[in-house]
Amino acid sequence: MKLNLNTNKIFTNLIAVFIVTLAGFILCSITTILIKGMPNFGSSLLSREIQFAIKLSFFTSVISTLMCIIFSIPVAYGMVRLNFPGKRLVNTILEIPMALPPIVAGVALLILFGNTAFGNFLSDAGLKFVFTVQGIIMAQFFVNVPYMLRIIKATVEDIDPRLEFVARTLGCNRMQSFFKVTLPLAKNGLLAGIVITWARAIGEFGAALMLAGATRLKTETLPVSLFLNMSTGDLELAMAAASILIIISLLSLFAFQYFGGTRPEQSRANII
Amino acid sequence: MLRLKNIYKRLGDFNLKDINMEINEGEYFVILGPTGTGKTVVLEVIAGMYRPDRGEVCFKDENLHFFYPEQREIGFVYQDYALFPHLTVEKNIVFGLKIKSLPEATIQKKLYAMVEMLGIKHLLHRYPATLSGGEQQRTALARALITSPRILLLDEPLSALDPRSKQVFQEELKNIHQTLKTTTLHVTHDFNEAKFLADRLCVMHEGKVVLVGTPEEIFHQPKNNFVAEFVGLKNIAQ
Repeated sequence: MKLNLNTNKIFTNLIAVFIVTLAGFILCSITTILIKGMPNFGSSLLSREIQFAIKLSFFTSVISTLMCIIFSIPVAYGMVRLNFPGKRLVNTILEIPMALPPIVAGVALLILFGNTAFGNFLSDAGLKFVFTVQGIIMAQFFVNVPYMLRIIKATVEDIDPRLEFVARTLGCNRMQSFFKVTLPLAKNGLLAGIVITWARAIGEFGAALMLAGATRLKTETLPVSLFLNMSTGDLELAMAAASILIIISLLSLFAFQYFGGTRPEQSRANII
Repeated sequence: MLRLKNIYKRLGDFNLKDINMEINEGEYFVILGPTGTGKTVVLEVIAGMYRPDRGEVCFKDENLHFFYPEQREIGFVYQDYALFPHLTVEKNIVFGLKIKSLPEATIQKKLYAMVEMLGIKHLLHRYPATLSGGEQQRTALARALITSPRILLLDEPLSALDPRSKQVFQEELKNIHQTLKTTTLHVTHDFNEAKFLADRLCVMHEGKVVLVGTPEEIFHQPKNNFVAEFVGLKNIAQ
């Protein structure tokens, strides 16, 4: 009997050690940057380069998030509510960018928008994506749209289709039932999706680097600024950029959890 | 008259087989049968959630096959009421009238008459999640009836209520039907409910209609083994 009790205690303590180690490891690595970045945080924020990076990051991430919303809402709704042949295949295709390493996604975009007929056509029409700010937006959109899709799909799946059907019996056509019932009910999921997509867009590096390059004061977003300043050994600016990214990520994480993302479950099992 | 002619519908493992039914105008018709027998699917086929694989749904000799749900003018009340959780009781009830863009004065007049009849005037500003089962039930019924549907479909409307509310609401349903005379199809697995409410009823079993008749004919002279057994079992249970 005693042996059993001890085994249980050891088991629980072992789990506690794992939890503390992992949480501690994450916390330490983050605080180290914040501690290094904070003393010169104010002066770095005033530097032209960091200000440019902040502005560019906000601009590109807001536009790419808007593009993600515009595409994800109808696509997610269609993928949940409509049945069509090849749906599984289409679903896999839509999720490919999530499985690709961002740098590969960047190369794919670079080649597509580079010297192909399609790329030349767009370029002639005034839409240049290679080594431009538009390229950053396109890269962020391409890499992040599957995440937004997943969140909105999960949200729509949770909405009882009978609610839409009842709305139909009350006189709504499909579009009205979508806008009056499904979309308002998807609000929280949508907000969570926006927050997480935007935060990921702010931090997007690999794909944007390939497509838009890393040119100081031209395509210099916060992560690019961090990369450039680390390479040139300008640690103050690098840490400032890293600190801003950390703060944005933490705030986004809290916002995401607030809007109904993942919350730690209160376990039902009361293990003794 | 609402007529279902040789309706077949396959949904996964489930099959509706050759459903024939005729419901007269103004009638209170009950579909009685054990759980999982396809009663709700019959209602959903009538309302247009699914098109049948074969067969026809006709209303006043008009084939509804190519009509969208919004063109059928059918009121639907689900077992769990399916109220819009993001709208107040008032907005739930007037939902159908707003879609039709009726003038605000007409909407308010109809709303007032409806909530007065169902006794839910005091609930107008509440959200569905804060209502009791009976209150949700009344709200769902008001939402369906306010658009003056040609047919009212009730899917086990009393099954989620406690026995006392059930008794009260059963009588209310009968009164409402006597007042409005809306052709009503009511699905249930409860004998007493069927007996009390039905002008006529049909018994369904494993996706088929096994018997149609008045409550008198069904419960006192069942012409079918399954029905006799179904009724008999219930009697023993009582």
